[in-house]
Amino acid sequence: MINVKQFNYEPGEHEAEAASNSYLMSLIAIIVGLPLPIINLIATLIFYIGNRKGTYFVRWHCTQALLSQLSMLFINSFGFWWTISIIFTDENISSNYIAYIIAALIFNITEFIVTIYTAIKTRKGIHVEWWFYGNLTTLICKSGI
Amino acid sequence: MKKTIIQGAISILLFFGTWVALTKIDWVTVFKVQKVTDKTEEKLGNLFWEIFQRTEKENKNPFVVNSIDSIVTRICTANKIDREFIKVHILNKDDINAFALPNGHLIVYSGLIINSDNQEELSGVICHEIAHINLNHVMKKLVKEIGLSVLISMTTGNGGSEIVKETAKMLSSSAFDRSLEKEADIKAVDYLIKAKINPEPFADFLFKLSDKENEATKYLTWISTHPDSKERAEYIIEYCKDKKSLYTGVMTTETWDKLKEKLNE
Repeated sequence: MINVKQFNYEPGEHEAEAASNSYLMSLIAIIVGLPLPIINLIATLIFYIGNRKGTYFVRWHCTQALLSQLSMLFINSFGFWWTISIIFTDENISSNYIAYIIAALIFNITEFIVTIYTAIKTRKGIHVEWWFYGNLTTLICKSGI
Repeated sequence: MKKTIIQGAISILLFFGTWVALTKIDWVTVFKVQKVTDKTEEKLGNLFWEIFQRTEKENKNPFVVNSIDSIVTRICTANKIDREFIKVHILNKDDINAFALPNGHLIVYSGLIINSDNQEELSGVICHEIAHINLNHVMKKLVKEIGLSVLISMTTGNGGSEIVKETAKMLSSSAFDRSLEKEADIKAVDYLIKAKINPEPFADFLFKLSDKENEATKYLTWISTHPDSKERAEYIIEYCKDKKSLYTGVMTTETWDKLKEKLNE
């Protein structure tokens, strides 16, 4: 799922810290914005915009953190609104709903663990690429800019 | 690029695969969701019924009770409804009203029986209320109006007697959503046809009451809480038009007349 790869260049201490912070940002946001899934995305988005003009290593990791939050947003928003509709409308708690929440929980926990792992690694200047997100980030994030 | 797309597709499939696989487990049973809901409903039903029992006078005349029971039993048997679950109570009150409480309590006011021209009209209203019970409309309405947390706190005795009273009043004097009312009407017609009771008088009953809507109708609770009776009568007639069948009365005309006599005493 996660690969440690050699980056184009050796990131400096300052870069490693900024890149690691992009992941920490989403972790803190999870705690703050647990009931509202959009908070996580907004937090990483703000961080992404702030570091848009940063070095390639920082930009790359900000993008990876943002992309992973974006997909979690879809999963969590659906679960969030499903829950709201159960509380406020005629919708009943069904096995499908509970199954969805468990599936969403599994993916969220996985993402949480991977995020912590990546935050620690990037802090040491080690480049970590995630399955799918890593490739996607490389496609989006160009080194020349 | 291609590799990324494939990986993305696998990720999406993985999520939906996990979800589908998890739906194979009956979580509602695992987490005893139904049991908790049933227990809450049972407690709420008893709580509300106790309020009506305290404030209103229940008619326990065996003849009256048996007559209404015979209608309910006929409807339940023909439609495979658990007869034990429907608990009928007749209250001596002039209001033309009938309503359902949680846990299958069905309250019929004597005013409704007296003001029904025939037993089919009364059966129609009873079927409509049984439909509300069977389609779980009562609990849905309660959850929507006052919220699950308040309901649960009521069952544990923390709700405050005023809230319980107000909620009971709300159940007896306000309608469900228009869509739920229509659903109950259509279901009621199905019940009536299966029980071989003519559904047309039920529509007539609504027509009749819609005429009275303009008059000063302080006793017409059932109709004032069920708006647009004319429209309802129309779609009921439309629905049962092509469902003609051989209908029979539940009780004899003599019994019906005697029932009204007893209630008028």
